[in-house]
Amino acid sequence: MRRILLVEDDPKDVELTLTALEEYNLANEVVLARDGAEALDYLYCRGDFAGRSTGNPAVLLLDLKLPKVDGLEVLHQVKTDETLKMIPVVVLTSSREEKDMVASYKLGVNAYVVKPVDFHEFVNAIKELGMFWAIINEPPPGSLKKK
Amino acid sequence: MTILRRRSDSGVSPSCPAPHRRKCAKLTCVNLEVRAEAMEPWGPQSPPTLAAIQNYGLAVLAVSMAVAGALLLDRFFARDVEVPLFLFAVAVTAWYGTVRAALLVLILSCISFDFFFVQPLHTLYISGSDLPYFVIFASFASLVTWFSAIRRRVEEQLRQARDTLQIEVAERTQQASLLNLTHDTIFVRDMSGVITYWNKGAQEMYGWTAAEAMGKRSHELLKTAYPAPIEEIRGELLASGRWEGELEKSRADGTRIAVASRWSLRRDDDGQPSAVMETNNDITEHKRREQEIRTLNGELGRRTTELEATNKELEAFAYSISHDLRAPLRHMAGFTELLQKSTASTLNEKSQRYIKMILESAKRMGTLIDDLLGFSRISRAEAHEAQVNLDQLVQEAISEIRQETDGREVVWTIGALPAWHGDRSMLRLVFVNLISNAVKFTRTRPQAEIEIGCKEQRRGQVILFVRDNGVGFDMKYANKLFGVFQRLHSAEAFEGTGIGLATVQRIVHRHGGKVWAEGQVEQGATFYFSLSKLQGDNS
Repeated sequence: MRRILLVEDDPKDVELTLTALEEYNLANEVVLARDGAEALDYLYCRGDFAGRSTGNPAVLLLDLKLPKVDGLEVLHQVKTDETLKMIPVVVLTSSREEKDMVASYKLGVNAYVVKPVDFHEFVNAIKELGMFWAIINEPPPGSLKKK
Repeated sequence: MTILRRRSDSGVSPSCPAPHRRKCAKLTCVNLEVRAEAMEPWGPQSPPTLAAIQNYGLAVLAVSMAVAGALLLDRFFARDVEVPLFLFAVAVTAWYGTVRAALLVLILSCISFDFFFVQPLHTLYISGSDLPYFVIFASFASLVTWFSAIRRRVEEQLRQARDTLQIEVAERTQQASLLNLTHDTIFVRDMSGVITYWNKGAQEMYGWTAAEAMGKRSHELLKTAYPAPIEEIRGELLASGRWEGELEKSRADGTRIAVASRWSLRRDDDGQPSAVMETNNDITEHKRREQEIRTLNGELGRRTTELEATNKELEAFAYSISHDLRAPLRHMAGFTELLQKSTASTLNEKSQRYIKMILESAKRMGTLIDDLLGFSRISRAEAHEAQVNLDQLVQEAISEIRQETDGREVVWTIGALPAWHGDRSMLRLVFVNLISNAVKFTRTRPQAEIEIGCKEQRRGQVILFVRDNGVGFDMKYANKLFGVFQRLHSAEAFEGTGIGLATVQRIVHRHGGKVWAEGQVEQGATFYFSLSKLQGDNS
């Protein structure tokens, strides 16, 4: 069961994120979506993900700048859908811009993390996020459970 | 006067008997009031009874003297002189007295003539053959009286007209000299446009003297340019009696001027338009300034639009940097670190150092980008004005940089600071930057001394300072202190991006203040900044 949905279009960022998550053996839990549309397909079990087992991810790690459907739109969709709104969403972005932050919080984001340039900080941030949301945090009912 | 008029009103004029009144009315065109005065030969002041006695006394005296004279002449010299004498008496009375008195003389003359000179003598009998004689005499005497009355009336009218004219001349002269006194340009033209009056103001403005201007057509002399067809303007003038507008005219020296012109129509007694009084004010300078202001406003609007566009571009630029520039940097740093990890055992020391330097540079670039974005954010952010307790702000700033002072001996001296009006978070950033600088540059001192205070506070402005006993700076570089990325110390000695003081300056400028510094190498530095009360604050 993969319980972390990572929405990220930049392959380098994907690799760095997965490297960081490996430290807690969480890399295997990650489902990757390359853009917002794919992320929504996964969440609604449609398109390429039509056959996946039902259940919401324990956490959604969401970049803001995405092709097709951008991060804020995904966030809006998730937080206004009755079946998806309980999924914890962590925005993971390069942008420190206040307007992005304000928009995200207004839409009901659970955490807003600016990707640090420094690798150690980046790794620590990702590790802590994975650790907290996938291990420590008790996900809402209906989420995919730990093996 | 009052009594006299009342009597006139009641129809009993002392001087004009009822049958004659209609004639009086026909003969005169001077108003009633004037006539009432004119008919009183002894003037309006004489009491009416006294006047009557004088009048009739004159009549009786004249007749008596005529009778006496006739009798005397009849006895001693000639016969048949009585009729001319009686006519003479009538004429004298009519001339000097009133019509009534003259009529009395006529009646008395007829009686006396009949009594003293017509056979049978000393009776009042009139034979049928004498009657026509009496009628002719009476008619002739009436004619004399009537002519005399007409003469007097004409004389009165003439006098009255002369007086009225004199008063009018005096008034006009006074008005003309008054108009000459004003600084306004005033001239009068008749309905064909010929100038009939030209005051000093007009002479000063246009350069022609009254003598030169009068008699000329104003629009030809002044080469007037009208803003609308002249028929329209004339129509409005005739309809409402006035017109106002801006005209262009020429001076004697040929220069064109713009004037605010006001026309007033003057009508004669019959209500016919007779003249136009025009006042002009020179508004050339005013118009020029207006035009200037319009141009400047246009320019300002254009620049504002440009500035807004530039600001938008900058914002987009900063956003793009924030997103796109940081990602590759993060990748460089991330993969270099991974490389470092995986090659830790195989790479030699030199290669390890290279990797370390790449990492340091990447990190520094990250900091620079962050600082630059923060700096640009300060300029773009809206200021949220509020009452700010500066004392509290300083305390907050000091606790924010506690990490930097940990393990060091710092003596803080904080003076009384006023409450001020401004953007709280921005002002806080000013103190954080300045205090953090002071802490940083006193690092080499065994005991750092940092003083924060208020240098002076005047109406609407306050000057604050942050002083330290640190390494100071050379005053010849003082102008470089506040530039973006300008640094006076090497990165090895004191770290930093050179954005802190630029941020301080920008915030202070946004608060209508200035920032400056005084220092000496190794003698410490003092940073001053002034804050103005922002607009809309009346306290």
